[in-house]
Amino acid sequence: MTDSAEAPEGAPAIHNVEFRGRGGEYFRIWIVNLALSLLTLGLYTAWAKVRTQRYFYGNTYVAGHSFEYHASPWRILLGRAIAIALFAGYSLSVIVLPATFALWLLILGAALPWLANSSIRFNARNTSWRNVRFNFAGTYFEAFIAYVVWTLVAFVLPFVPYARRVQDYFYVNHHRFGGRPFTTAFSAGRIYAIYLLGFIVIVGLLLGFIAVAGATVEIATHMHNILGQFSIPIGPNDFGAIVIALFALGALFVSNFVTTQVTNLSIGHTVLDGGFRLASRASGLRVAYIVTTNALLTVLTLGIFYPFGRVRLARYRMSKFALIAEGDLDGFTSEALETQSAIGEEIAGFFDFGFGL
Amino acid sequence: MSGTIEGRFYPASAAHHLPALASAEANRTLRIAAEDGTVLAEVPARAIKATARLARLTRRLDLPGGARFETDDNDGADTLLRGLRRWRRGRFTDRLERAWPVVGLSLILSLAVAYYVLAQAVPVASEWLAQKILPNVAHAITEQALMELDRTAFTTSALNPADRAKAEARFRRVAAKARHGASGYRLVFRKADKLGPNAFALPDGTIVMTDSLWTSIKDDAEIDGVFAHEMSHVDHAHQLQRVLQAALVPATIAVFTGDMMQVTQMSAILPGLILQSAYSRRFETQADDDAATLLRGLGEKPSHMADLLERLDKKDCGKTSCPPGWTGDHPGTAFRAARLRLEDKGPIAPEDCLKPWQYGLSLHCLSVD
Repeated sequence: MTDSAEAPEGAPAIHNVEFRGRGGEYFRIWIVNLALSLLTLGLYTAWAKVRTQRYFYGNTYVAGHSFEYHASPWRILLGRAIAIALFAGYSLSVIVLPATFALWLLILGAALPWLANSSIRFNARNTSWRNVRFNFAGTYFEAFIAYVVWTLVAFVLPFVPYARRVQDYFYVNHHRFGGRPFTTAFSAGRIYAIYLLGFIVIVGLLLGFIAVAGATVEIATHMHNILGQFSIPIGPNDFGAIVIALFALGALFVSNFVTTQVTNLSIGHTVLDGGFRLASRASGLRVAYIVTTNALLTVLTLGIFYPFGRVRLARYRMSKFALIAEGDLDGFTSEALETQSAIGEEIAGFFDFGFGL
Repeated sequence: MSGTIEGRFYPASAAHHLPALASAEANRTLRIAAEDGTVLAEVPARAIKATARLARLTRRLDLPGGARFETDDNDGADTLLRGLRRWRRGRFTDRLERAWPVVGLSLILSLAVAYYVLAQAVPVASEWLAQKILPNVAHAITEQALMELDRTAFTTSALNPADRAKAEARFRRVAAKARHGASGYRLVFRKADKLGPNAFALPDGTIVMTDSLWTSIKDDAEIDGVFAHEMSHVDHAHQLQRVLQAALVPATIAVFTGDMMQVTQMSAILPGLILQSAYSRRFETQADDDAATLLRGLGEKPSHMADLLERLDKKDCGKTSCPPGWTGDHPGTAFRAARLRLEDKGPIAPEDCLKPWQYGLSLHCLSVD
């Protein structure tokens, strides 16, 4: 397959990302993963994770080549075993001596930057495209500032967008592809605008939902009183539940809208050293719609829709990413491969706690 | 010469690739040849690293030195590996994933385990854990909650001392028969216009009664049932169980879907709410049953409490009564009152009436016994 879009001299070539996974196929992988995990009392979850990641990476294509995920399930299992052991230690010590809670909080604060770095690095190093590996080079101190200090500062709401930008900078700007750095930069004003819009919408949704839920209960109660024995099963007790459920849906919608727009910002302004840019043009509304309907369908089908929904989201999400190449992609990859073999493979770590954009 | 398969050859440290054929040769040797027959690589089978088979993903054979061969022909790759007497990694799992009977069985197993965990294991686990929570922790939670309620919903009780003394006396009489005895519970009076006639139990045995509940009773004996009901909530640590269930349900769902991402969070909220109210109805039914037993022990009729419930319900919802809710946290009043009236004659078997899908929807299970 040599189908990297040849562009006329001077004009950059645009390589759209494409997801080729199928819902039915992933459904079977997912359900067998689940059954095997249950039958092995959770041990298989490490293998399940690797199979799932490989399926999603391996079906994501850029310029005719897919991504690859290389993590060893044994390492993931080890990471999980350590995490469980630590959690058990924490629970035991807190039950025996509640005062140790403060100590554990300190330990967690001190370990968090290290955990963040090793998780991101683990995922980056185990990801490759055209045989070139990604890498991540964040330092402890920078991770501490981004994930501990700014998380605490973000308890003051107006700082939330700014903290998000610090964390996105940390995440993107320390990623490497074959030794070449990624860089992103965008104005604080734009991220504030996104969060402000999200905030206004969520306040509006909250007020709207309260009105709708109130009216529903009111009508149902009236119907009941008018029709006597005939009863719609919605009473005043349900008012709270209806409001919470609708509000949760609204919050899901808005949070996905916001994160999609922020990802568009941070990925859309990312440059890969050597004449490459990334583009991210997903519609926040569309992603929010897909995620919200996925959640509803997942609930209505007792979970069976979950894998189909995940594929549906990946298909849309991936199709809106692109690699814009001003330089020569083949030459770049060859060079990266040479640099890479010079550095040598050093796969370390086993923690994967899902830090990311 | 078994299995020649088509694919692409990537020389070491190079981004370009060329169409190639791979075949298993004698002495467990893998040969990669260009289309014109030129041999590109010949390596012993032992030195090859092959990726595991997964769906339609490109199969990749890593050769020593950094070169690699890729193919989309997964069956061919398996045949090739067998020819080389190498382990066909992922082949067994892949066959499981392709076999519809296995997929069907997996689905049934997963749904059954999920149902078992949510319907049986979570309630048992949370009850066990709730009982393990130390009294001083329960007390701290209670103080915190009461302080918060005093700030937001409560004002000082306006009941006159005579009424208070009457309520206290009945409370002590009921408590003497309850699990923790006369000193195990504490009655607290508060005025709460927003909450209407109400009583509720806090984890350390404190039971709060609103003024309007006391003024709603017609016969003093009616209040005994309410006290007994709340004491049962204390005995079973129902409030702590709610907190634990609120954490256990999303955790279970996250385990089942296999990720902690947004969809999971959301999918956990809706069934979480429905399950929470189902668990909660179970608590209410249990508390009613316990109250009925205690009242019979005092020589009183559980139907007194039914009268009170129905009167309060009419006050709340107009002429008839409230429609039975299906997400609400109490079972329909009609259902509770009917159960309590039956309890006058003696304990009723709970099993038939505790199926979650029957809550608030029908009363027919009552006629079974």
